[in-house]
Amino acid sequence: MRHGRSVSVILVAVLVAASGGIMWSPRPAQPQQQPADVWLNVLGTGAKKINIAVPDFTLVSGTDPYALVKQVPGVLGNDLNFSGLFSVLAGTPAIPANNPGALKEAWAGFATSGAHAALHGLMTTRGDRVEVEMRLYDLTSPEQRMIATKKFEMPVPQARRLSHRMADDIVLQFTGEPGIADTKIAYTGAAGGIKEVYVMDYDGVSAVKMTTTQSINLSPVWSPDTRSIAFTSYMGGYPFLYRLFAFEKRPIQLLAGYGGINSSPAWGPDGKQVALTLSKDGNPEIYLLNVSTGALRRLTNNAAIDTEPSWSPTGREIAFVSDRAGPAQIFVMDAEGTNVRRLPQTGFNTQPRWSPKGDTIAFTSRQGNHDLWAVGPDGSNLRRLTAGPGSNEGASWAPNGRHLVFQSNRLGSYQLFTMLVDGSEQHVLTKGPGEITSGAWSPRLP
Amino acid sequence: MLPRRGSVLFVVPLLALSLFLVGCPKRPATQVASAPAPGVATPPPAMAAPAPAPATPPPSQPPATTPAPAAPAAPAPPTATPTPAPATPPRPSEFADNPNLKDIHFDFDKYDIRPEDAKILDANATWLKANPRNLVLIEGHCDERGTAEYNLALGERRAKSTMNYLVGQGVAANRITVISYGKERPLCSEKTEACWARNRRAHHLVKAQ
Repeated sequence: MRHGRSVSVILVAVLVAASGGIMWSPRPAQPQQQPADVWLNVLGTGAKKINIAVPDFTLVSGTDPYALVKQVPGVLGNDLNFSGLFSVLAGTPAIPANNPGALKEAWAGFATSGAHAALHGLMTTRGDRVEVEMRLYDLTSPEQRMIATKKFEMPVPQARRLSHRMADDIVLQFTGEPGIADTKIAYTGAAGGIKEVYVMDYDGVSAVKMTTTQSINLSPVWSPDTRSIAFTSYMGGYPFLYRLFAFEKRPIQLLAGYGGINSSPAWGPDGKQVALTLSKDGNPEIYLLNVSTGALRRLTNNAAIDTEPSWSPTGREIAFVSDRAGPAQIFVMDAEGTNVRRLPQTGFNTQPRWSPKGDTIAFTSRQGNHDLWAVGPDGSNLRRLTAGPGSNEGASWAPNGRHLVFQSNRLGSYQLFTMLVDGSEQHVLTKGPGEITSGAWSPRLP
Repeated sequence: MLPRRGSVLFVVPLLALSLFLVGCPKRPATQVASAPAPGVATPPPAMAAPAPAPATPPPSQPPATTPAPAAPAAPAPPTATPTPAPATPPRPSEFADNPNLKDIHFDFDKYDIRPEDAKILDANATWLKANPRNLVLIEGHCDERGTAEYNLALGERRAKSTMNYLVGQGVAANRITVISYGKERPLCSEKTEACWARNRRAHHLVKAQ
C-alpha cells in the first residue's frame, strides 16, 4: 500500500543511488515516476504529514567533541520520520547563536520551501552532561510563532535518549499523545540451539544480552512499569516461568515452577498479576498469578488447550487461544473467566495481542504460512495486515497502539520488522546474528 | 496548514546528512554488548546501567508443585492447593537415551497414536516392564510450522498421549514424566515434509534407579 512520498525523501533516494548507496533512507528507494505535486505527503489514512525542518543544533556553550549538534537532531529526525506523522527536512547548518535575524531568515527559507514547522535546538555541554533547549516553531503562522519550548538533559553517553525524549515531546505537541521513541524492544536471539533474551532500543541499536542461561528462553514480556521482563525458560530443566529485572542488578526470579508447562506470560495492566498458561491440572489452562504472593486463580476449565492470554488495556477482559471448538481460534473472556465468546474468524489462529488502545486485537493466522490479521474486540472489522512473503507472526504493540513489531522470515532467517496498524510501512529492524524472534515492545520508559 | 505548492525543491546536503546518520543507523546489526552502557554518571531513573541480569544457578530444588522464590528478597508465596502429582521428577539432564526405546511420530496438528506407532510403543512397553527399575522421561516435539506457544501445548499432548498408551499397556504411571519442547528442539531444519514429519515425535529417555 504505497502512497505519494514527499520530494525530500525521493530526492534523497535518488542521491543515495547516485552516490553509490550510502544508507540513509528509512524507506526503500522509490520509483522515479512521481506526481508533479511535490507536497503530496499522504499518510495511509489520507491525512497529510507535517513537514518539519530540523537543522543542526546550535552550540550555545561548552565543547562538542562528539558532534552532538549533528547526531542528536539526526536521531531525532529518524524518530519523527518513524512516527509516520512527519516528513523531516534535516541536516542544514546550525543557526548561529544569539542572532534573531539569522533565525528569521532560516525560518523564512524553510517556510518558502513548504515546511510547516521548525525545531531550533540550543545545546549546552557541562562536563559529561549535555542539555538541549528545544524550541518548536509554527512556520504557517505569519509571524512564525514559537509554540513550545522545553529543556532536556542527559549524560553525554545517553545523548540518543535526548533525541528520543524530544521527538516524543514534539509528537505530543502536535497530536496530544507522546511518541514512542523512548521505548525498548525485548526479543529472543537464537544461536546454536540456545535462545537468550535481549533488549535493544526501539530503533534497533544498543542491544544488550539479558540472560546467560545457556538454554532455551521464550516469550519475553514487559511489566507495565518496565522494571521486569517475564519469560519462560528451560534453564531449570523443565519449562518454568521467570522474570528478570531489566534495569536493576537483581537476580532472575522464579515466578511459577509447577509440573508441566508454565508459559505464555501476560502482565495485567496494574502490574500485580500475570496471566499465564499452566498444565499442572491435566491440560493447558489459563490462570492468574499474583506476582508478589504467588496466589493462583484459575480462569479456564476445559479439556481443550487454552493458552496465550492477552489483556485488554482496561484489565476487564482477556483474549486467548483455545481449540475447544475445533482448530485453534481466538476467544475473549472476562478477567474472571466468565462470558467466553469466540471472535468471528476461520482457519487456525493463535497469538492474540490486544492493542493498548483497546480497539484492535492483532493475531496470527495460519493458512500455509503465517500472516498477521486484526479484528475489533467486538468482532467487527476483520482484516489482514500482512500477505507474505514468508511467515509473519508474533505481533507486539507499541504503546501508541499505532506501531507493531513482528517477526518475519521473508528475508531468509526470522528477523524483527515494524509496521503501522494498517499494515503499511513494513520495515526490517534487525539483521541477526542468528534468528531473532518474539519481539516485545516496552511501555514508554519512565 | 496547507502545504505550499511550488517548483522549489528542498535541497538536502546529502553527504553531510549521511555522515550524521551513519552514526544513527536505521537498520543496524544487532550488536550484543555484555558490558553496561559506558560512563553512566547520574543515571535517570530506570535507566541505570542496563547490565545483563546475571543468571542465578537454576533452582536447586527439583521442579516443585508450588512456586519457590529464587531471590531472598521475594516474599515466600503461600502454598497453592496441592495437586495430586507424582514426587518431583529428576532433571531432564539426568535421563539418557536408550536404544531399546524407539521414537514414535505423529500427523500434522495431531497427537493420536497411529497404528504403526502403537506397535513401536508395544515394544517399548515390553522393555520397560522387563526393566522396572528405570524412570522414563517422554519428550513431545512439534515441527516448525506452528507458533511457539501453541506448540508447547501440542508437544505436551503428544508426550501425554504416548504416556497414556504405555500406561494402558501396563507400565506404572509413577515411573513416567513428560516434558514438551514444542518446536524448540528440531532434529532437522529443512522446510520439507520429510523433515517436518521427523520432528513431530515423542522421544523416550531413561534413568536407572
